[in-house]
Amino acid sequence: MQLEIRNLSKTYSNGVHALKSVSLTIPQGMFGLLGPNGAGKSSLMRTIATLQEADSGSIQLTGLPEGDIDVLRQKDAVRRVLGYLPQEFGVYPRVTAETMLDHIATLKGLANARERKEIVSGLLQKVNLHQVRNKNLGTFSGGMKQRFGIAQALIGNPRLIIVDEPTAGLDPAERNRFHNLLAEIGENTIVILSTHIVEDVTNLCSDMAIICLGEVVATGNPNDLVEDVQGKIWKKFIEKSELADYRATYRVISTQLKTGKTQIHVYADTQPVGFDPVEADLEDVYFTAITERMEVVTV
Amino acid sequence: MFFEIFKFELKYRFRRPATYGYFFLLFLLMALVTVYGNGPASEKTNVNSPYAIANFLSVIAIFGTLLASAIMGVPVYRDIEHNTKTYFFSYPISEKGYLLGRYLGSFVTLLFVMSGACVGIAVGSALGPVLGLSDNPDRYAPFELWHYVQPFLTIVVPTLFCLSSIFFGLVALTRNVFVTYVGSIILFIGYLVASALVQDIEQRELASLLDPFANRTVVEATRYWTPPEQNTLTVPLTGTLLWNRLLWSGLGLLVFLYTLFRFDFQRFLAVKLGKKSKEDMVPKATKPLSELPVAHKVYSTGAYLRHMFSLARVEFMNIVKDPYFLAILLCGFLFLFFDGWFGFPTFGTPSLPLTYYMLEVKDFNYILFVYIILIFYTGEAVHRDKAVRYDSIADALPVPNWLSYGSKFIALLGVCFLLVNLVWISGVFNQTIKGYFNYEFGMYFADLYGIELWEYVQLAMLTFFIHILVNNKFTGHIISIAVWMVLFGVRNFAEKDYNLLFYSYTPGYRISDLNGFGHFWRPLNSFNLYWLLLGGVLLVFANLLWNRGAESSLKTRLKLARQRFNTPAAIILTILTVGWLGMGAYIYRNVSVLNTYRTPEESRKRLAEYEKKYKRYERIWQPKVTDVNVNVDLFPTERYVEAQGVFTMVNKSPKPIDSLHLNVSSSVAHFKLTSITIDGVTPKLVHNDTVFRYYIYQLPKTLQPGDTVRLAMSTHAENRGFENNGFSREIVYNGSFLNDGDLFPKFGYSAQGELDSDKYRKKYGLPKKEYSAPKQTDAFGLSNLLFNDDADLITFEGTVSTEPDQVAILPGYLQKEWVKNGPDGRPRKYYAYKQEGLMDYFFNVSSARYAVKKETYKAPDGQTVNIEIFHHPTHTRNVDRYIQSVKDAVAYNGKNFRPYQYKQVRILEFPRYAGFAQSFPNTVPYTESFGWVADFSNPDKTDYAYYVTAHEVAHQWWGHQVCPSFTRGANQISESMAEYASLMVLKHKYGEDVMQNRLKYCLDRYLSGRASEDKFEETLIENDTRAYIWYDKGSLVLYALQDMMGEDQLNKAFSDFANKNAFLQKPPFPTSGKWYGAIKAAVPDSLQYYVEDAFEKITLYENRIKKAEATKLKGDEYRVKLTVEAKKLYYDKKGNETGKGKGRDLIEIGVFTADSKNKNGQTRKVPLYLQKHWLTPGEHTLEFTVKGQPLKAGIDPYNKLIDRVSDDNVTKVDVL
Repeated sequence: MQLEIRNLSKTYSNGVHALKSVSLTIPQGMFGLLGPNGAGKSSLMRTIATLQEADSGSIQLTGLPEGDIDVLRQKDAVRRVLGYLPQEFGVYPRVTAETMLDHIATLKGLANARERKEIVSGLLQKVNLHQVRNKNLGTFSGGMKQRFGIAQALIGNPRLIIVDEPTAGLDPAERNRFHNLLAEIGENTIVILSTHIVEDVTNLCSDMAIICLGEVVATGNPNDLVEDVQGKIWKKFIEKSELADYRATYRVISTQLKTGKTQIHVYADTQPVGFDPVEADLEDVYFTAITERMEVVTV
Repeated sequence: MFFEIFKFELKYRFRRPATYGYFFLLFLLMALVTVYGNGPASEKTNVNSPYAIANFLSVIAIFGTLLASAIMGVPVYRDIEHNTKTYFFSYPISEKGYLLGRYLGSFVTLLFVMSGACVGIAVGSALGPVLGLSDNPDRYAPFELWHYVQPFLTIVVPTLFCLSSIFFGLVALTRNVFVTYVGSIILFIGYLVASALVQDIEQRELASLLDPFANRTVVEATRYWTPPEQNTLTVPLTGTLLWNRLLWSGLGLLVFLYTLFRFDFQRFLAVKLGKKSKEDMVPKATKPLSELPVAHKVYSTGAYLRHMFSLARVEFMNIVKDPYFLAILLCGFLFLFFDGWFGFPTFGTPSLPLTYYMLEVKDFNYILFVYIILIFYTGEAVHRDKAVRYDSIADALPVPNWLSYGSKFIALLGVCFLLVNLVWISGVFNQTIKGYFNYEFGMYFADLYGIELWEYVQLAMLTFFIHILVNNKFTGHIISIAVWMVLFGVRNFAEKDYNLLFYSYTPGYRISDLNGFGHFWRPLNSFNLYWLLLGGVLLVFANLLWNRGAESSLKTRLKLARQRFNTPAAIILTILTVGWLGMGAYIYRNVSVLNTYRTPEESRKRLAEYEKKYKRYERIWQPKVTDVNVNVDLFPTERYVEAQGVFTMVNKSPKPIDSLHLNVSSSVAHFKLTSITIDGVTPKLVHNDTVFRYYIYQLPKTLQPGDTVRLAMSTHAENRGFENNGFSREIVYNGSFLNDGDLFPKFGYSAQGELDSDKYRKKYGLPKKEYSAPKQTDAFGLSNLLFNDDADLITFEGTVSTEPDQVAILPGYLQKEWVKNGPDGRPRKYYAYKQEGLMDYFFNVSSARYAVKKETYKAPDGQTVNIEIFHHPTHTRNVDRYIQSVKDAVAYNGKNFRPYQYKQVRILEFPRYAGFAQSFPNTVPYTESFGWVADFSNPDKTDYAYYVTAHEVAHQWWGHQVCPSFTRGANQISESMAEYASLMVLKHKYGEDVMQNRLKYCLDRYLSGRASEDKFEETLIENDTRAYIWYDKGSLVLYALQDMMGEDQLNKAFSDFANKNAFLQKPPFPTSGKWYGAIKAAVPDSLQYYVEDAFEKITLYENRIKKAEATKLKGDEYRVKLTVEAKKLYYDKKGNETGKGKGRDLIEIGVFTADSKNKNGQTRKVPLYLQKHWLTPGEHTLEFTVKGQPLKAGIDPYNKLIDRVSDDNVTKVDVL
């Protein structure tokens, strides 16, 4: 089973060119979609989740037992195998978590009440909301709400799971728990994890793509991608005032403060004078990829 | 600091398009109203008179509530909404500076917006005469700045200050903007309660004081202003208006100060704390995901339908659990309840809480709440998922579009259902509290579920469609409200009322105990189905346009709609559209093919054309009917009537007559003259005008003066299908009521149908119409009777048939009744009647399933009178009152004037489609709503069943014995005399000291009547058309006159007059001049001034008491000292003051102790001193000793004289 996205383009009515001929093949397993804010991640996610029309291009979900699905046309078929956690979502404030989840399960086609009850209860336990299942959703904190969102996405054994910025607003412990939960998801499922947190992808994904300004700028296995830049990233501590000069001379991919001093990473095939080698990681891949397209201001 | 914030607020506001939008809306509204010449006053008042401007502005201030809540609610809410509060208050600003700045900035903006109304009136009035769009282009006065400034300052500013403070304070203190909506609704209630109160004359003062918008106050303060006063005076800021303004500004100030001192940033910033959820931080060991059962999924239409209903339930609960929904609903319910509670009083007397009354209150104020709820909560439902951002989850769920869409609509249906049910719940509640247990649930449910519910559903359908189409909650609300306002405005201001074109409108209907829902089901069901089908079409479109997913632009949705438009959608859409058009065609056939529809404008034009074409025949000689013999066959179920009449006619004129003019004035929609013969010969039709239904036949033989002919006519009148509006009440299933003009053509031109209003007469090129009747010296007028110029007095005989379970009535005494099969082979009941002696040519035919109560009465003069009350079987409650009144009236009139001419008085009831009582010879038909179902249990409330019956019975003398001529003033002989006789009957029954309860209504109606005069006021002698003169001034003047000169002396004069003028068979018929002459001759010299003032002139008193003091003497004696002012003013017919009274007047002075009850349980004033004094104009000090504790004292304390300001006549006595 895999999801094949071909030449997907979308321009919004305000002129924003959100997707520019995006082509991706997303296999089973965990797929990370990395990109800065405004890269088009959410647009792509919403389109796959049937909430948005594309101007051109196609999306096929192939290899399903019930046959291939043309995602852009057969919306209902997509929705039957979909679990979607949007980046921003709300809930009815005056409904309890259990009622709401049960209601969503019903709409997802879970007709058997006993079975549904068991699943709902199990999922609430998985996301650690079982104790508060009878509280109104309006009283939930941000983190609790996010966990509720995860539960609703997982209900009904979806084959295609889309989670858009799922760990935003979660504290480290919760985030960890969420990662574990994602890791539990069965193998024959496509999970698309959209995020701008590189670490999430590092931890979880066997495949990934980086998109920027509506285009796919890198795709592949994270380790392979890191391997590609290994030995090409160099670091140096500089004075903040020198940054402009360095930018003019080198391809600075990131800057960060370390104990009050500014450390820059640059991309170069050979070691520049005064720079030390860096053990490259996915973050360097990411910055390398996006600095080709846009200027990243990091401090 | 304050100033900076103030300036910023102004700058912010004046850069917002909304500010100008609101301004422009008010401007446009008022400009249109004035350009088209609409206004609160009569034709004699300028469109932009200060009176009208004050009225306009006070009404606009009511709408100002919405603007004030929109403008004053947001200035502090803005910081919450945009979350600027989190940092804004960290700036070095003070709380008071912040509040004052924001408040005043917004308030100035609000005043600017409201001034749009003034500018609108000014511009509209300037353009009015230029554009000539109004019916009355010369009623615009030149611009006068003060006429705008004064009411703006005294009415608009205080109202807005109060509203602004409340709204501003509510938001500043609660941090919730929705409360302002609730606040505005509560204020609205204040206004509406005030409106309900003023129905009762006693409560007007209180209502004036309590109306937060001062609209009632202005109306009351100017209630008796004549047109010239309305055109020149601004409403003075004194008295109740001043107190009202102080009250509401004071409340505003209090609220504002409270807000100012209560408000602090910390409280404002505090996070609203919900209940803390208990979280277990340590996750328990849980089963791995893979061990959860694998879901079995079912996707079927059945499952979807189930989900839809369960979702609908969720949505419904979401709506009804909303506290604001409950608040609005509660307000609506209170209105239902109180409207039902105050109910349907007549002369201040309540009616029984009948089920149909409880139902009718739904259209008083409640309907407004229904609109508000349906519009706002449709918006909530449609946008709920978006608003809480649940849509991104919900829209990706594997369910069809119609599921979520349908569930929301079903939830709204649930709301509609809830709303209609409140009506019967409130009704039953009301009935129970009032101890009335005849709950007619069948009627409740038929009306609510059969009619009302569908109107709400239609409303919900359109609103739903609009909300989905525009896909923005706020815009959706605005457009929905605008649509209903346009529909309402076009109907009411532009006089377009073709229901087929007005979404959700149906023809009106009225429930009657006699006739139930009668013939109204068909039009109602047809129209409701028609609109529901259209609503269905809208719903299909809305479903196609339903916003699912992240993209909401109309373009994308249209693209999606094309994708979604599949075969089932096409089939459903086709069925609905075809059904809708089919129903439309069916309705069109009924309304415009089977019947004729005319706009009000067309109807007026038609009248004008009729007059232009046929006025020349007004005075042609026609033979007069002397004997009538009719045969009337009523078919109530089929709604038609067939009549044959033989009319013996005599040429009473001095000239030969060669043609007969027939003029059809039947109210029954389809009338046909099926045959006509004159002395057995069919005459030649020489003029055949089927448009105006005017026909001229050539007499077979010229009729010489004194010659007699026999005219035989057969007619057929019926109702076909249904009409656009109107009750078409003449022939109904139970309770038919027709008069002679509905059955047979009239002879010659009928002036009764002429256009009366001079503004329309001018518009259609007709001369001004000052009078409807000719002068008292006019030979033509003197030779005709007022009620019918086709005959003088006639003899009458007839047979009427109807369905076997109904009783049918004609004038005269029942001779025999029988059952025989009719032309259709079904049995029919026949009744033969014959009238004794002579009568007017003025009769009615009635038929209904009556119960009859009979009683024989032997009058004091020895005459035996059979009293028969034909009533609806359940309307037995007040029958004895009618009987008692008939007895008392027969006795009084018989004793004081002349014997009664018949041996019988019949009172009969007809359905409440019309609201009058009328006196025909020996028969008085009464509408169902007039007394039959009144609650007279409180003796202090006017017993109008008794009173009005006495009036109608008196008409048997005044009208049917003394038949007035067709001249100016002659109707006073009929109406003022019937009023007088009825007042006297009442006086003898209840006593003099309760007559004020009755007379105060006369005074009020006389003064209001002359204030809203469209032409000019006439004197009691010359008045020809004004009811407020013949009823109300007539009552007041004649009552006072008998009080001054003695009842017996006056009655002697009336009796002599009646004996000389009763049953005249030859002209000249009596005039008001002769009547007045008879009165004047009997009045002593000292009182001649009074009759001259009262009958020949327009005279108003302005008596008042200035001071009343008492000192205690020995025992229970008190020395009372009163300072009174006597004042009498004369007016010309236009309402201008022309002079003051100079001579002395006989005026009553009274001192009273505590009120007590008389033997009937009525409250009465208890005079310690009551004497008439001769007082010259000006101030007088009067002193006298009374026994008993003086509490109140006054000049003309019973308001027997016509006093412009009647409530300053009595004051409290200060005991020194």
